[in-house]
Amino acid sequence: MCNGSKMDIKSILFAGVGGDGIITASNVAAMACMLAGFDVKKSEIHGMSQRGGSVSAFVRFGEKVYSPTDALGQVNYLFATEKIEALRANKYLNTASIGIINDRIVPIINQEIDTEYIDKKLESVKIRKIVKNFAEDALKLGNPKVINTIMMGVLSCYMPLEKEYFTEAINKIIPKRILTLNLDAFYEGILIGENTRNKNYSREVN
Amino acid sequence: MDDRTTKAIISGNEAVAIGAYKGNAHFASGYPGTPSSEILDYFKQFKDVIAQWASNEKSGLEAALGASIAGTRSFATMKHVGLNVAADPLMTSAYTGVNAGLVVVTADDPGMHSSQNEQDNRYYAKFAKLPMLEPSNEYEAMAFMQYAFVLSEKFDLPSIMRLTTRISHSLGIVKYDTRRLDNEKIFKMKKDFQKYVMIPSNAIKKHKSLLKKIEELEIYSNESPINRIIKGRSSVGIITSGVSYNYAKELLPDAHFFKVGLTYPMPVEKIKNFVESVDRAVVIEELEPFMEEELKIAGVKVEGKKYFPTDGELNLDIVKNGLEKCGFLKKDKSKVIFEDFELPKRPPALCPGCPHRPVFDILHSLKPYVTGDIGCYTLGAIAPLSAMHTTVCMGASISMGIGASKVQDDEKIVSIIGDSTFFHTGIQPLVDAYMNNAKLTIIILDNRITAMTGGQPNPSSGFNLNNKKFEPVKIASLARTIGIKRVFEVDQYNYEETKRIIEREINIDELSVIVALRPCVLSPKKIKDEPLVVTDKCIGCKRCLRIACPAIDFVNNKAVIDADLCTGCNVCKSVCPVEGAIINV
Ligand SMILES: Cc1ncc(C[n+]2csc(CCOP(=O)(O)OP(=O)(O)O)c2C)c(N)n1
Repeated sequence: MCNGSKMDIKSILFAGVGGDGIITASNVAAMACMLAGFDVKKSEIHGMSQRGGSVSAFVRFGEKVYSPTDALGQVNYLFATEKIEALRANKYLNTASIGIINDRIVPIINQEIDTEYIDKKLESVKIRKIVKNFAEDALKLGNPKVINTIMMGVLSCYMPLEKEYFTEAINKIIPKRILTLNLDAFYEGILIGENTRNKNYSREVN
Repeated sequence: MDDRTTKAIISGNEAVAIGAYKGNAHFASGYPGTPSSEILDYFKQFKDVIAQWASNEKSGLEAALGASIAGTRSFATMKHVGLNVAADPLMTSAYTGVNAGLVVVTADDPGMHSSQNEQDNRYYAKFAKLPMLEPSNEYEAMAFMQYAFVLSEKFDLPSIMRLTTRISHSLGIVKYDTRRLDNEKIFKMKKDFQKYVMIPSNAIKKHKSLLKKIEELEIYSNESPINRIIKGRSSVGIITSGVSYNYAKELLPDAHFFKVGLTYPMPVEKIKNFVESVDRAVVIEELEPFMEEELKIAGVKVEGKKYFPTDGELNLDIVKNGLEKCGFLKKDKSKVIFEDFELPKRPPALCPGCPHRPVFDILHSLKPYVTGDIGCYTLGAIAPLSAMHTTVCMGASISMGIGASKVQDDEKIVSIIGDSTFFHTGIQPLVDAYMNNAKLTIIILDNRITAMTGGQPNPSSGFNLNNKKFEPVKIASLARTIGIKRVFEVDQYNYEETKRIIEREINIDELSVIVALRPCVLSPKKIKDEPLVVTDKCIGCKRCLRIACPAIDFVNNKAVIDADLCTGCNVCKSVCPVEGAIINV
């Protein structure tokens, strides 16, 4: 019998709805991990996402990564652009996971969504989570399209790599004409992230 | 692209294209299908290559075979079910063999992320007696593709490269350059009656020579470094291939691995020795027990599907579970798994403005029996549209409609098919319907693009994979040329007129063809007009919800239209029973 010694791999699960920019966001994170010297695997799950379905992507990084997808209960970071999709990811999380979640519900055709139920469930998820209406922060920067980059800034505060790898990745992936805007958004996210991290930290100390 | 070595995060599909280029491929042809579609998009970006879409996989593979015989390394791409369509040339190309290297790339879809079945195409390798390569990651996808051409020429056979969704659509770091191999051999095009003309007298000899080649390949498989042993420190052995290797290696890093890269013919002797060197050996493979059976036939003591499922995609959890069952891993009882919440599903839906929607709404009201096909429009089968009653394989709509309309009179039969699907395998059934006087109403949803798989052009698009323009094939003219009298073109955004024609044709006891001409709202370019608005005249009857438009929501007993999503197609306004409840502003 062998001992399945788990190699030191960390992972981010991106979850959202078709059109949310999950693929680009996960590309940026994967690139940042590569630039930081990690081995990286990324896997996208988007059966028919163009038609409004759920989209998710795993980014796994570490010294050596084999599997492109992660196991239940093993995801370290959740990056969710929508609350129902965040809840769908629940089974992949554990008590040490950190969730950056956009406070938003995308309606589903011909279904009434019990928003109270969604919020109650999200409340019950036992992870460290930052649930915030990032659209408001994006609007402050004058562009609703930079929500993901702000969230990436928040995420970067919790990840074991220098923030400059993220900015380098953004530089490489985001088109020139919206680059400055996105870098601003990333820094805005860092401000939010540093804030929440300190708060969460103090709460844990108490 | 340039010659320098780059380190980048690339997908399996991109890696296949790079590998093909480095391996000196000059010609590629395929038909789109998830998860294979992006390979040709990547390949066409290289200089001095010819990449093109075919109307179906058979045509694509035959074009690649022709190019190979003409002396050019070539490959064909398709999804797993595409190889069913291309099975005819595949089987006999094993007899003719190739000239310059020929590779058939098939991308299977375990788990059916976007497919109608999850057949395991490894059986095609055994069926046709062709070598099959299975990469486990992006680097191997690139390297094996190069190797596949070498193997093809060495044994004078097409090679099959088998990918799966998780290989095609996963990304990893690869260091590569885009230099072609040097010392390219020159293959002259030769008229070789015995080799390329498969009449019985030649084919009989070619079958014998194929059997000999496969014997040689078996020896080769046992010697090739593509089938390799990764030594571990424990006493157990794992035999695996493709993506499964990654799950097993991560869970049992200390086990001995036999990693099969050339899945057919299997390196049986080498595995036999491997199995003898370990206490116990287990085969981990996705879908069918292909390797397990090959080994058991040869008397090699292995276990496999006893512990692992034969359906669906494998993953870390499923492989872990199997390894626990067979005793290779201790049961991990400490781990608490968070709840899998009961949540509303987010099914895919036709896009706002999709021109398929009004047709299904009309069919929903008229209630004929609809034999359907595969494409975005298959979503017309889902509630609340619920207006498609069969979906089997591409091209089956018209032909199944012929059979159904011939043997009964109770149901009016409508066959519905998309443009790309029509060109794929719908034309011949249309000819059959005409020849056999089928009393059928055929609706062709000609949105001028292959939308389902990401917007690849087709004969109706008027431009090809390389953006070269051509005069599009007019489906109505084609139908008339066949001899069909009742051929009509409609614009679905003109809801009333479309409904009038469909209703009339369903009720006429004759063959008719209705070509619905509105283009796709997503590709080649996004179409968005001014959004519509719901006024306070809305009576909350929910009629507009029945068209299943993502832009329409229902709040406080009234419909609301999301201005960002609405494309202004007016279909909701057309179906609304209250004048002035939905308006243009
Ligand atoms: C034999 C086979 N090849 C490819 C596919 C993948 N596939 C499914 S639908 C489709 C094309 C649909 O295009 P079209 O008929 O134009 O309909 P649209 O999606 O544009 O509505 C393709 C390529 C398949 N299912 N089967």
